[in-house]
Amino acid sequence: MSSAPTIDDLRAQFDRDLATVASEADLRAVRDRYLARKGGLVSALLKGVATAPAAERPALGQQANSLKVDIEQRLAERELAIEAARAPAGAVDVTLPGRRLPLGRRHPLTIVRDRVEAIFTRMGFEIVEGPELEDDYHNFEALNMPPEHPARDMQDTLYLASELPGLGRPATLLRTHTSGMQIRYMETHQPPVRILSPGRVYRRDNLDLTHTPMFSQFEALVVGKRISLADLKGTLFTFAREMFGANTRVRFRPSFFPYTEPSAELDISCIRCGGRGCAVCKQSGWLEILGSGMVHPAVFEAVGYDPERYTGFAFGMGIERVAMLTYDVGDIRLFYENDLRFLEQFPL
Amino acid sequence: MKLVYPWLQDFVKVSDEPERLAETLGLRGFEVATIEHKPLPVIDLEVTANRPDCLSVIGFAREVATAYGVAFEDPLGSGRSKDRPLEESEHETQPDLDVVIENADLCPRYAAQVFQVKVGDSPSWMQDRLHAAGVRPINNIVDATNYTMIERGHPTHAFDLERLGGRALRIRRARAGETIRTLDGVDRKLEADMLVIADSERPQAIGGVMGGAESEVTPHTTLVALESAWFQPASVRRTAKRLGLKTEASTRFERGADINGPLAAIRRVAELFAKIGAGEPKGPIIDRYPAPRPSLRLALRRPQIARLLGADVPSSDVERILMGLGFTSTPVRSSKGEEGWLVSVPSWRVDVAREADLIEDVGRHYGYDRLPTTFPALDAISPPHDPRIARAALVRETLAGAGFAEAVTFTFIEQEAATPFAGNGTSTSLVPIANPLSESFAVLRPSLVPCLVDAVAHNRRRERRDVRLFEIGTAFSATDGEARKVGLAWTGAGSPEHWSGTGREVDFFDLRGAVERLAEATGTAVEFSPGTVDWLVPGRSAMVSIAAGGPNPGLALGVAGQLQPSIAAARGVPGADAVYVAEIDLDRLAAAATGRDDLRVTPLPRYPSIVRDLSVLVSDTLPAAAVRGTIRAAAPNELESIAEFDRYQGKGIPEGQISLSFHLTFRAPDRTLTDAEVDRSMDAIVAALAREHGASRR
Repeated sequence: MSSAPTIDDLRAQFDRDLATVASEADLRAVRDRYLARKGGLVSALLKGVATAPAAERPALGQQANSLKVDIEQRLAERELAIEAARAPAGAVDVTLPGRRLPLGRRHPLTIVRDRVEAIFTRMGFEIVEGPELEDDYHNFEALNMPPEHPARDMQDTLYLASELPGLGRPATLLRTHTSGMQIRYMETHQPPVRILSPGRVYRRDNLDLTHTPMFSQFEALVVGKRISLADLKGTLFTFAREMFGANTRVRFRPSFFPYTEPSAELDISCIRCGGRGCAVCKQSGWLEILGSGMVHPAVFEAVGYDPERYTGFAFGMGIERVAMLTYDVGDIRLFYENDLRFLEQFPL
Repeated sequence: MKLVYPWLQDFVKVSDEPERLAETLGLRGFEVATIEHKPLPVIDLEVTANRPDCLSVIGFAREVATAYGVAFEDPLGSGRSKDRPLEESEHETQPDLDVVIENADLCPRYAAQVFQVKVGDSPSWMQDRLHAAGVRPINNIVDATNYTMIERGHPTHAFDLERLGGRALRIRRARAGETIRTLDGVDRKLEADMLVIADSERPQAIGGVMGGAESEVTPHTTLVALESAWFQPASVRRTAKRLGLKTEASTRFERGADINGPLAAIRRVAELFAKIGAGEPKGPIIDRYPAPRPSLRLALRRPQIARLLGADVPSSDVERILMGLGFTSTPVRSSKGEEGWLVSVPSWRVDVAREADLIEDVGRHYGYDRLPTTFPALDAISPPHDPRIARAALVRETLAGAGFAEAVTFTFIEQEAATPFAGNGTSTSLVPIANPLSESFAVLRPSLVPCLVDAVAHNRRRERRDVRLFEIGTAFSATDGEARKVGLAWTGAGSPEHWSGTGREVDFFDLRGAVERLAEATGTAVEFSPGTVDWLVPGRSAMVSIAAGGPNPGLALGVAGQLQPSIAAARGVPGADAVYVAEIDLDRLAAAATGRDDLRVTPLPRYPSIVRDLSVLVSDTLPAAAVRGTIRAAAPNELESIAEFDRYQGKGIPEGQISLSFHLTFRAPDRTLTDAEVDRSMDAIVAALAREHGASRR
């Protein structure tokens, strides 16, 4: 036969029981367990006082009573706490998902284009758009690329099977760059000119990790009375730092394009490795991002500008390439698959 | 161009490490692809299309000499003084070889010399350098010609003289039906405007492209006729392209070789033959050059350099740079008193035709890195952007806010996918591409919808049930050209699944709501009328047009409705999925929009409104818009708005009829309406509905 629990045992047991109380029902069960008139552990203890030896009775009675008062008080406290935690009338579970209005997205190519347009808008450029179907004159000839010009190989062209009505002349091809729009603008405007022409362009390139037969680019053109290569350099350096970060290092190198003379390319320090060398920059530390130059006098002659009076610069850049570099996209085709798992990674 | 470093050092004393040299050349306009160190140090450089002179060791020697400020020495001389046409050689008789240019337009200069040769292997130093330059050694004769081509940039060709019929070289256009087996063993059909080098009977080489197998140098060859000519670039380019035969020679000739190169090249081959014991000349050089070209002289004005470059390059630098690159310059002062130079352009610099070209060379070697960075002065405020830019941004924001993700798709598609969308449902209005990459890119899209449907299919195949996409782009038609449109595609949930049970599949009215939202955002009122196109489900499609009351009422804007399930299935969307699509012409939408700047506000109402509900029974085939129109026509101006709030069919409603319910809001701008007034209006409306549609009030 086990001996009856001591007061200390009971107190410790009550502490443990109270700690598990989470609801009003739990609380009632604990109260009954200790304080029920019939079978309550404390009630039994109090009853046992009467049968204790007379000498221990006063002390025992006092301790048992104190335990009872203590338990009652702590149960009351817990009851208040539980009541306080109970939700008010009409409350809802705010942790459940809301009734969301689905949010769409801008395409990442649009996000990049918008950034580019914002930068050049701040520099005072007018943004112009033009036709995607072009004639040979506006796409090539006026840009100092006569038929049989070797530089036409640099831009393998998609042709229309038959002529379509175009702007001025019948359209025969899908524009290989947006430069045709620059020609059209100069044909109808006198300097000063400061324009940005973004848009979709087409080349006969097979699909692979870095090529698509359609891509987007923007081109800029500035013409005035005192426009120099140094102005081009300053404009490009400013753009590169705005676009890729203030710490970007830039490099301006001679190059060749038929429609510019002198021509130059812009390199930026690799935005992945900061210029130390990595797979993205093929260990060179530099990324080639943009072709540019001073407008070729033959181009000015084609649009009726006097190259003795005016000089100008032009440059062009692929938007996909910037998006690939900026967002670490390894495969250009992702931009055209329109997989929502890809598109939804970009905030609106 | 694989530049073999020790070869370069034959011409210019430079000892920088290959990496440093490569970097220097990179900043002068020659991009470096790779650098190798063994067996010989080689820098692989990209040569832009305008610099065929740099497809050679001496071309780079001049660049390096100029960049490092050291001397360039050409053992064969400057290439100018000694390369003047040998006037007497025009009339030289050469018993072993008869050379006649028949088509000087395609070949203005043709030089040749006969050599007695002993065919064997070339020495290892020559083979090693050729290997390093990416050329396979063959025998001492061919190797010496290739060595000369790499070194001087001028291709030459050796014929086995004894295999040439009539010991003759006829430089002429190919004749109809002529063929040739080229050195690569391929039989090729020649076309009439291709230039060939023929013997007295048939073509023995394709001019500037490749020699023929029949007169190829063999181990038994003892006499060769060495050709060193200049071919017209456009002709070589055309021929090489047509034959699909791009060679080291054609690459150089089509970009433009040096018109004065032939003699220097022939001398260099002779020198090499002697050096390696391959042969010696048998007779003089024959030089057929009927119309010698004068050298080009250009004025270079000093102020133009600063004007174009934005930097004041010292005259001494200008002169040093020009001299280093082989130009000769004489200081002159123009009649206007401008300082400058008269510059004579070396014949190998085919890219230099105007002053700007000279300034580029000055700039390149002065260093783009030394140019200041300035900013173009803004003389005037820029005109506003093309209005389509802001319009597209607004459409984008509106549709993205309505849950549509922006798609960008290719504007060319398969003909099969395009045909159902081509205007009248035939392919006649399609715009085919003449040289598509593949059948999947065969025609320009007549509509954005098929492209969006493919994007929907892509997502559906990747466990994505709910898809809303839009695209802003161009659609093409053979009759109307380009049109800017916005396309929408919506499948899956109309409102997304939610724990509260409010989820619902998309239906026509979700799509219509999106189109209306778009129109509202652009400030255009649109209306939907029953109608369809081939690619939509009849009865679940509508024509969208400009509503009455604004500019261009009735102008068609596009269509909206459920895509034909057969089309969806054909593009890989599971057949049971309803796909709702719409396409709206953005230029037309913009033309109908009320300009924001022209907007004038209406004063806010000062008197209360009275709302009456009206339920009528009408035929279930009667469009709600007709009922609405009758109400509007019968009501006084005080009818402020009509809102459909219920459409019921079923228990309690006679067969073939529906109950339509409206909230009608009445308000007068100048007084509080009375119930009696509104009662009279309601009576008039009910009477009109009974008269027009046989409607009864419920």
